[in-house]
Amino acid sequence: MSTIALAAPAVMPAAPARTSAYVVLAPSCLVLTMFFALPMGVMIGMSFTDGETLAPTFAHYQRFFSDGLSLAGLYRTAMMSILVALSVTVLGYPIAYFLARSRSRWRAVVFALALAPELAGVVLRTYGWLIILEDRGFINDALMNLGLVASPLPLSKNLFAVVVGLTHVVLPFGILSLTTSIQGIDPNLERAAQMLGASRLSVVRHVILPLSVPGIVSSLLISFTMAASAYATPALLGGARFKVLATMIYEQVLFYIDWRFAAVMAVALLVMMLTVSFLGIRYEARRSARRSNREGERS
Amino acid sequence: MNVNRCLPLCLVLALGEAPGPAFAETLIVNSYGGPYESIIEERIIKPFEEKSGIDVVYDAVGSAAQDYAKIKATKGNPGFDVGVMTASQSLQGCKEGLLEKLDAAAIPNLGKLAPRLSEVAGPCGAVHEVQYMSLLYRTDKLTSPPTSWSSLLAPELKGKIILPTFQNIMAVFLLEIMSVARGGDMIDNVGPGFTAMAELARQSIGFEQSSAILESYIKDGTVWAMPFWNGRAQLLIDQGVPVDYVRPKEGTIPLIATLNVPVGAENKQAAMAFIDFFLEKSRQEAWVTGYKVGSARIDIDIPDDARKRQITTEADLKSLKLPDLARVADKLGEWGERWERDVVSQAK
Amino acid sequence: MNRVLACLFWLAVGLVLLFITLPLAVVVAASLSPSSAVTFLPWEWTLDWYGALLTDRWLQPFLLSVRIATLVAAISGVLGILAAYAIVYERIPGATAIMAGLLSPLSVPQIVKGVAIVLFLSIIGLQGILGTPALIAAHVVLALPFVTRMAATSLANFDGNLDRAAQSLGATKRQRLQHIVLPMIKPGVLSGVTFAFIISFNNIPLSVFLVRPGDTTLPIAVINYLEYSLDPVMAAVNVASMIFILAVIFLFEKIGGFSAQLHGGSK
Repeated sequence: MSTIALAAPAVMPAAPARTSAYVVLAPSCLVLTMFFALPMGVMIGMSFTDGETLAPTFAHYQRFFSDGLSLAGLYRTAMMSILVALSVTVLGYPIAYFLARSRSRWRAVVFALALAPELAGVVLRTYGWLIILEDRGFINDALMNLGLVASPLPLSKNLFAVVVGLTHVVLPFGILSLTTSIQGIDPNLERAAQMLGASRLSVVRHVILPLSVPGIVSSLLISFTMAASAYATPALLGGARFKVLATMIYEQVLFYIDWRFAAVMAVALLVMMLTVSFLGIRYEARRSARRSNREGERS
Repeated sequence: MNVNRCLPLCLVLALGEAPGPAFAETLIVNSYGGPYESIIEERIIKPFEEKSGIDVVYDAVGSAAQDYAKIKATKGNPGFDVGVMTASQSLQGCKEGLLEKLDAAAIPNLGKLAPRLSEVAGPCGAVHEVQYMSLLYRTDKLTSPPTSWSSLLAPELKGKIILPTFQNIMAVFLLEIMSVARGGDMIDNVGPGFTAMAELARQSIGFEQSSAILESYIKDGTVWAMPFWNGRAQLLIDQGVPVDYVRPKEGTIPLIATLNVPVGAENKQAAMAFIDFFLEKSRQEAWVTGYKVGSARIDIDIPDDARKRQITTEADLKSLKLPDLARVADKLGEWGERWERDVVSQAK
Repeated sequence: MNRVLACLFWLAVGLVLLFITLPLAVVVAASLSPSSAVTFLPWEWTLDWYGALLTDRWLQPFLLSVRIATLVAAISGVLGILAAYAIVYERIPGATAIMAGLLSPLSVPQIVKGVAIVLFLSIIGLQGILGTPALIAAHVVLALPFVTRMAATSLANFDGNLDRAAQSLGATKRQRLQHIVLPMIKPGVLSGVTFAFIISFNNIPLSVFLVRPGDTTLPIAVINYLEYSLDPVMAAVNVASMIFILAVIFLFEKIGGFSAQLHGGSK
C-alpha cells in the first residue's frame, strides 16, 4: 500500500497560501506526531538502549541476530509473505482479467464476490479457514469419515494454513491492482495480435502478460507487505509451531514483557517492509525512465 | 434524502453511553473464560452482587501472564480492580511494586488461610484456590492407569498426547517435574527436563495454549493422555467424560491461584470486599465444590470424596513440590527461548 | 486450442471464486448449525446462536466498536478534509513533502504502530489513556492517510473552472467552499469515511495492544473467545458483524453514492 503515490494536484485557482491553511493542517499533524511519529521515534530509540541504564547499546540487535529464533521468525515471515504474494497474484490474475475485459452481466456479480470478503473482516475469514483446515475440521472430518486417511492431514498450525488464510485475506487487494493495470492495456493490441494469427495462448504470453507487469509487481508488493504485517491470521492458523515476527512481537510485549526486544523485532519487520517497498519504487522509477527514453528516441 | 436527516440521530445513538445502571458501584474483575467463567459467575459473583450492591463487570480476556503484562504496561493501572492470577505474578508484582499489599485489616478472611500457602504467594496475593498438575487419561483407551509422568512416553500414546504452549504455566511445571524425574532439578539443572520435553514433543500432536482447547482434545478422544489441572480434570469426570486423573509417583507441582489488586485500581475498597467475600468459609466451600479445586482454608466443610482428591490440608501441600516461583519468573525468558529451540522444533 | 484455453480460464475463475466464498459459506453454515460441533446438514438449522449474541458479552463490545468506529470516521473525515484543503486547494509551500508525511503511516505495519503506541504511552506516563481514548487515536492514525488521500484525489480531480466561475460571479470563499467544493468532493470523502469506519470496526493488530479490560472491541472479544472455544457462537457473531458492515456501507452509499467510484476500478 505504501507504493501508491498521490496523483499530482490539478491546477487550482491561484490563491496565496495563508496562515489559515496551516491552521487547518495543524490537527492532522498534531495527531500524527503524537500517536505516530513520536511513538515510532521512542520505539526505535528503545531498541538501541539498555533497559536499566538507558545507555546506548546494540545488545538487543546482537541477540536478534544470534539467538537463532528471531532470524528463523524473520525467515518464516519472509517465506510466508513471498508465498502469499505469489499465490495472490496467480489466483487474482484470471479474476482481474475477467473484471477488466468482460462486459457481461456477470461482471458485477464477480466483482461483488471478489471484493465482498474484504468487508467481512479478518476474523471471520480466518475462523472460516480454521474450521475448514483444523485437525478435526471440515476437510479432515470428511476424509476420515470416507476412510481415505487414518489420521488427520496436517492442514493447520503450519505454513500451509497461514498462506491459505492470508491469501484469502489479501486477494481482493491483489485483484484490484491487477484489474487497474489490465484495464490500462489497449484492447486493440490484443485484437491486432489475434488478427495477425496469434493464438489466444500466445496473445496472453506475448501481449497481455508483459504489458501487465506493472500491475503484477504492485500486486506482489501489496500482498507481500500486507502478509508480512498481518497478525490475527498467523496467530490463529499458525499456532505455536509457526510463529512469525508479528506474533513474536505480540509475545514479547504481552508474555515476556521484554519491550526492548519487541522494539527490535518491530524495527526488523519495518526494515524488511521498507526494503521491499523501496525495491518496488525503484523498479517503477526505472521502468518509467526506460519508457521515456524509448519515447525520446522515437521522436 | 431522509437518511441525511436521520444520520445525526444515529450518531447520537451510537455515541451515547451504553444503557446500564450508572448509579451502582462497579468492580471490574479480570479472569478466565470457559467453564471458569460460568462457575465463578454463579457461585461467587452473583451472590456478591446481591450482598454488596456492587456491580461486577467480568472480563475473561487473557492468561495470568498476559494480565500481568497489561499491569506492567500500565504501571499498575490496567483497568481492572481484581485480577485472577497465580502466585508467580503475585510475587513478581509485589517486587516491582505493581500490586497492592493485602492485609488482614482490610480482608479479615486472609487470616483464616493456611500460613504455608499464604507465604508462597507473598503479601500481594490472596490464595483463593489450589490445584495441582495431574496426569489426565482416557479410561476407555488406556488399559491400566498411568503411574508415572514417563507413561506419557509410552509407544501406545504416540500421536495421542497434547502439550500446553510455553505461555501456559503448565508447560513450565511439566518441564520441571520431568527434570526432577530425570535426575535434574527445578531451577538450575533443567537440562534433563528439556530432553524429556523434546521426546514428549515428538510424541505429541502439537501445542495449545488454553485449557479449554486442550480439554476439547481429550473430550473427543483425539488425545488419550495429557497433563491437566486436577480441578478441571474433575469437572470432566463429572460431565461423564470417560477420563480419570492421577498424581504420578514422581510427585507434582501445585498451581496456587491468587486474587490480586493492581496498585492503580480505581475501586480498591470494593476489590478488598470482593476478595474477602471470595475467601469466606461458605464461598470457599461453594467454589471448592463448584470448580472442583482445593482451598487454602483448612476449616471448610466439604464432602469427603471431594477432600480426598483435592489439596485441602497442610499435609497435602507438603507432599507437593514447590519451585522457587520468583526464580522461575526470572528464568522464563531464557527457558522460553530454549523451549522454542529444543521442544517446539521437535513436534511433527 | 482456443476453446480449451477458454474452458481453462472459466475453470480458473470459478475455482478462485469458490476459494473466495468457501470460508464465508462455511461460517454462515456453522452459525446455523444446531449442534456445537460445526455441521453442514442443510435441513437442520437453528437461530439459537444468534440469540446468544443479545447478551452483554457481545453487545458491549459491539457498541464500543460502533462508538469508536463512528468517532474515528468523523474525526478522520474532518481532519482529512482540512488537510486535503490545505494541501491541494490552498497549495501551501512544501505540499508534496507534507502529503508524504501525512501518508507515511501507511508504510509502517499496523502491529509495529501498535507496539510503538503502547510503549510510548507507558514510557511517558500517559498509560491512563490506554483503552478507548488510545484506541480512537490509534485508529485515526490508521484511517487518516486513507481519508486524506481520497479527499485530496477528489479535490485534485475537481474542475477548478467551476470555482473560478463562482468567484467571478462574486461568491465569497465561504460560499464557494460550502456550495461548490464540498458537494463536489463529497463522494470521495464519504468513501474515505466509510473505509475509515470499516478499518476501525474490524481492526485487530492495533487494538490488541490498546484495549483495556472491560472495554474490549468486538474483533478482540472474538479472538479472545476463540482461545476458549470454537463453538458456533463465533460464527454467529462474525456473520452478524458482517451484516452490520454491509448495512453501514448501504447507509453511506445512500447518502453519498460513491459506488460509481469503486466500480470505476480506481482504488
